[in-house]
Amino acid sequence: MQSFLKKAKTSQWYGVGLLVVISVIIWAIFKVAAPATFGAPDKLLSYLQSALIYAVGGCGLYFICVMGLFDFSIGAMLILSELMAIAFIPRLGWLSVIVIPILVGFLLGFCNGIAYIKMHIPSIIVTTGLSLIYESFSVWVADINGTRLDDAYKLFGAYPWNLIVAVLAYLLCWFILKYTKIGTYTNAIGANELVAKNMGVDVDKYKAIAFTLCGTFVGIMSILYLGYGTAQTPQTGMLSQALNFQPLMGTFFGLAFKKYGHPVVSILIGEYIVAMIFAGFVAIGMPTTVNNIVTGATLLAIVTLTTKRVNGAVVK
Amino acid sequence: MAKEIMLHAVDIDKRFGPTHAVDHVSLDFYKGEIHALIGENGSGKSTFTNMLTGIITIGGGTFELDGEKIAPKNQVDANHHGAAVIVQEQGTLDGLTVAENMFLGDEDQFMSKGIKNTAAMYKKAQELLDGYGLAHIKATDPIEHYNFEDRKLVEIVKSTWFKPKVLVVDETTTALSQSGREELFRVMREVRDDNRTVIFISHDMGEVLEMSDTISILRDGEFIKTVDAKDVDQDGLKTLMVGRKMSEHYYREDYGQSLSGDVAISMKGVSVPGQLENLSLELHKGEILGIGGLSECGMHEVGKALFGASYNRTGEVKLGDGTPINDINAAIDHSIAYASKDRDNESLLIADTIQDNITLPSLRKMKKPLSPKHEREFAEKYAKQMSVKMVGVSQFVSALSGGNKQKVVLARWLGAESDILVLDSPTRGIDIKVKADIYNLMDEMRKQGKAILVISEEIMELIGMCDRILVMKDHKVAGELERSRDLTENDLISLMV
Repeated sequence: MQSFLKKAKTSQWYGVGLLVVISVIIWAIFKVAAPATFGAPDKLLSYLQSALIYAVGGCGLYFICVMGLFDFSIGAMLILSELMAIAFIPRLGWLSVIVIPILVGFLLGFCNGIAYIKMHIPSIIVTTGLSLIYESFSVWVADINGTRLDDAYKLFGAYPWNLIVAVLAYLLCWFILKYTKIGTYTNAIGANELVAKNMGVDVDKYKAIAFTLCGTFVGIMSILYLGYGTAQTPQTGMLSQALNFQPLMGTFFGLAFKKYGHPVVSILIGEYIVAMIFAGFVAIGMPTTVNNIVTGATLLAIVTLTTKRVNGAVVK
Repeated sequence: MAKEIMLHAVDIDKRFGPTHAVDHVSLDFYKGEIHALIGENGSGKSTFTNMLTGIITIGGGTFELDGEKIAPKNQVDANHHGAAVIVQEQGTLDGLTVAENMFLGDEDQFMSKGIKNTAAMYKKAQELLDGYGLAHIKATDPIEHYNFEDRKLVEIVKSTWFKPKVLVVDETTTALSQSGREELFRVMREVRDDNRTVIFISHDMGEVLEMSDTISILRDGEFIKTVDAKDVDQDGLKTLMVGRKMSEHYYREDYGQSLSGDVAISMKGVSVPGQLENLSLELHKGEILGIGGLSECGMHEVGKALFGASYNRTGEVKLGDGTPINDINAAIDHSIAYASKDRDNESLLIADTIQDNITLPSLRKMKKPLSPKHEREFAEKYAKQMSVKMVGVSQFVSALSGGNKQKVVLARWLGAESDILVLDSPTRGIDIKVKADIYNLMDEMRKQGKAILVISEEIMELIGMCDRILVMKDHKVAGELERSRDLTENDLISLMV
């Protein structure tokens, strides 16, 4: 039995299995606490709807975080991409809803990458600074065509189109990680940048690519987010940072379960767990503040419990 | 038949700030030879080969490899030109699979229109591993599933499978066990027999003489001489390396001294899961106690356990007066010093100055508020005492050679006036001149009544320097040997294996 468990732990699917078990436990706990308002099949689908969106952003952020960097401009990029889409609808119609967010995300991500490489300062500072700029732009863009998405363009906010777009995004992320140099090189840079450089990896180039990919995935996320929420108000004074949190949660799951080889699946299940916890607390009538405390604590607990810690190892 | 030149190095030069690391060196390396490059730490051997293999840029001069002038931009570029290197430290990356590590930077052979044929990459990697007799290593596994030795073997495959014209083996053997060394030596011979060239860097003179056909000596960045391996012996090489005749016996020469009855520190029933089993020992004042064994026998954990740096330790570590030592702070407070085998990661603040490295454990004893002038003087005093080759104490430790780094570690504990010294592999990767300095220092300290525990994989060092030797096997003490003129390597080896 012991050797079976030991062998199972080295299996690539152990991490995914563990996350599924955690999901079931969390579902069971809230189902017992609020049987009438939590956990019915239709409810589970609605939690998935939210998880699908954030997991797309989480996939983008994964390329950054696996290298030990951060992008704190996700929220600002998301808002600006959505408002740009709304702004161009009168001229471009559906094209604006689909292409503009991806294009804006791509360009903003590229700007982040170039600024980070050229300025030689920490990614957190660069992206926080740039997020303030993106926030200001979003205020101007909101004046062009308002902040509401016309009902005729809400297709990607509901099944099945939200699922189709999200799955395509996950497949793209999985493909990039597994079948291009980007996956290998971002991992290598995260493990030891100097050795990666000595092996001929153009570190600056791949960091810029990672930021650009992050922005692009945030662009895809904003297609779903806009359809789901139907409106987006501009934010200033770093209020957009609140939107960084949920995609980042999924990324943390992806990183914590990276060793099992399925980061994209881990990001998605991780986001689903977070969505269930949020919904669970709403179902039992807890205020939002308590939700945030418990969600944060749950995240820390899960990552801590699933990360093999070595006594004395340096954790930064 | 006249020998053909494989690598023609002309006027190779490199400076690091004020340090002239390689000073206009010209050297020829021939096809079908193992050509050793030897010299003291800081003599420029690794800098020379690092330029050849793209790890650092060429400062001046030209490398002509098999008729083609090369100036590699990085290791993979060097590989493409036919030059490869196996480095001393770990060269594989966590987070990647074995195959990804093997082909890192060289994935283009598996790429088609920007898409990587992962299956083909894993297949080729596994075929190569199998071909080297390393079928127990799986190409699809994350590299972190394997220990240091296996990872080193993966590096050997990575650096040699494409049949480089020149293979540089830079101090790699110190990281390998006997079987790992044999595998490496087999590969080196294979390269030579295939009419290609091996540049072999090692401080182990016996190994150099056994493996090499030709030996070139560098000193202070300058080329000194090239000799035929069969025309020299170890003493001759040592003389060429240091520029003066070395005393044949640089170990202690006293025998028959009785041990002091005063116990400085003791371990009783100490166990560390997977590392040590029920270990007990006593280290006396004025004694050098040696711990020997094969590299995985657990001996390196003894030093950590004694210094309070071992996790999950059970059993007792006590000073002679009964004071327990359960953590690092207690150890330092009670004048215990520890120099780890992993110098760069566990002993030194590698990205900090010589001054900060030397003063660190002594700051707690210095008058507050701290005076920068006093700190500098303190560091200068002990750096000078240890003859650290440096521009000044404000120099970063990362710029020093291995031997000088070790001198900084010892200067630190000299400054802290430690009474008990735990030295794990104190002369690892260090040239014989610095070795002799360290042995002298140890002997001086012993005479002053300090207690020294030496953990070493070098049998002659243990026999030459220690009053007693505990030989470990499978995480336990397999036997104890007293200092004696009659003690031989075989006496230790028979207990180790």
